[in-house]
Amino acid sequence: MRILKSVQTKVCVDGSLMKEYVLDEPLTEGFLKFLEQFGTIRRFEQLKKPYISFEKEHFITIKGFTGDCNVEVRYKKEFQDLVADYFHLLLFYEREGGPGISRLQGIENTIREKMKIRLDSAERRGT
Amino acid sequence: MNYLSQVLSMKHAHQDADTPLIYLNNAATTWPKPPEVLAEVARCLETPVFEHGRSTAGGATDYPSATREALAVFFHADEPDHFIFTQSATDSLNLLIHGFVKNQKTQFHTITTELEHNSVLRPLYTLEGEGRLTLSILPFSDDRVSLPEIKKAIQPDTRLIVMTHGSNVLGSLQNVRPVAEYCASNDIFLIVDAAQTAGQIPINLSEIPAGAFVFTGHKALFGLPGTGGFWVQDMEAVATTRQGGTGSDSQARAHPQDLPQKFEAGTPNYPGIASLLAGIRYIERQGQDAITNKCRGLTALFTSELRKDPGVSLYTPSPDLPVVSFNIGGLDNDEAGFILAKAYNIITRTGLHCAPLVHDRIDGGKGCVRVSFSHFTTPEECRTAAAAIREVAESADPEVRADKGLR
Repeated sequence: MRILKSVQTKVCVDGSLMKEYVLDEPLTEGFLKFLEQFGTIRRFEQLKKPYISFEKEHFITIKGFTGDCNVEVRYKKEFQDLVADYFHLLLFYEREGGPGISRLQGIENTIREKMKIRLDSAERRGT
Repeated sequence: MNYLSQVLSMKHAHQDADTPLIYLNNAATTWPKPPEVLAEVARCLETPVFEHGRSTAGGATDYPSATREALAVFFHADEPDHFIFTQSATDSLNLLIHGFVKNQKTQFHTITTELEHNSVLRPLYTLEGEGRLTLSILPFSDDRVSLPEIKKAIQPDTRLIVMTHGSNVLGSLQNVRPVAEYCASNDIFLIVDAAQTAGQIPINLSEIPAGAFVFTGHKALFGLPGTGGFWVQDMEAVATTRQGGTGSDSQARAHPQDLPQKFEAGTPNYPGIASLLAGIRYIERQGQDAITNKCRGLTALFTSELRKDPGVSLYTPSPDLPVVSFNIGGLDNDEAGFILAKAYNIITRTGLHCAPLVHDRIDGGKGCVRVSFSHFTTPEECRTAAAAIREVAESADPEVRADKGLR
């Protein structure tokens, strides 16, 4: 799956950044399976349109409907700069199949290291 | 095309083939607007600007003067020039609060409530931070803040009270008249924020002796966004915080101190003011009581559909205003709003509604979903929206599903 365009950007109540993307194909079961490796997927299949949400703490949330090309991605406020590319990385490494999982996990570890350094530094400053 | 057809065609223009759009965010901004509002804006823009002191064009409508007169009649106030135009209720509150504080020589005590919007809270927090005032924020009880609670908080140096007329989250109406009477007899300046009530319920300023009364144009008065204003009883109570061109007394270095010029610097928002005039005329033609009663009926219908649903938490089971806030078990408010918008084409508002202290009390500061109706909302739209919310609640809450044997 690829991003065709970004149709909306706004800052949410909690300070997170929301972007709505249009993908080149509807959310696939394969992509949702891939997402399960990296966070929590919730599915509400009984709704008029089957709703899914993906949550990865400190990183991003994704909301959408299976069979729909539009997704809403929220980048958490605290580490927005570090996770700005994370949704793109998910799409990119899903295309690589199995090997993509370990590669993205490696990148994720690097991001977490940077998060930790920032948190430690903030703690030392007492903020 | 008759009137109803015009309104329906405005709504249909925004509906997709499968799912009609249901707009339930009228407490933020009413939509659609009455056709005569759009027509008046077009008429205003089609003719040269005419206002005493700013143009020699004749024959056209002097919208600021005509609208001030309409506001005075509509709100039962004697002096049209005491109505001041601003960009919004937020703008009005900033002018009044900062202007009142500018007139005070020493720090003084101010009272406000947990029901307030950030348009009240943030100016007060700012001035508190600058040491210009001390602040007491009164908690609400049964969705209201009463005069006895206010009296308990009064201090010898209390000079200002700012309170909402109607909560934008709970839909509860505040009894401001006794508060205004108390303030008037105790040399306390009362600012009433009527952003949610002006145009929604009958308001008679001759019976509410407030220091100032704030309204916005783009909600129940059916004007355009970017319009608002206030009525001020005693112009000496509030200092001007803006200076500039008024079209009068132009050689003077000091800004004019007569009303309305004292608080209006710069070219007015003529099309916006024209929309406000048409909005008021629309309400007068329909009858304020008729609008109030229709919206109360819609609110009662909607809440009755949801009140017994175990998956839906209503925060005010019987609101006074057409504002209903709720959460759906198993979903955060943002998800619920997302599903209602994307799957059902129902427009709500989610989050904190710029009233963080209310949410601290009712939902732990996490926010909720708010639906709000206008005179143009239909009973059918209320039923459809309530059914959609119940459907989402049934699907989202595992306990509800279990109770119904759905898993």
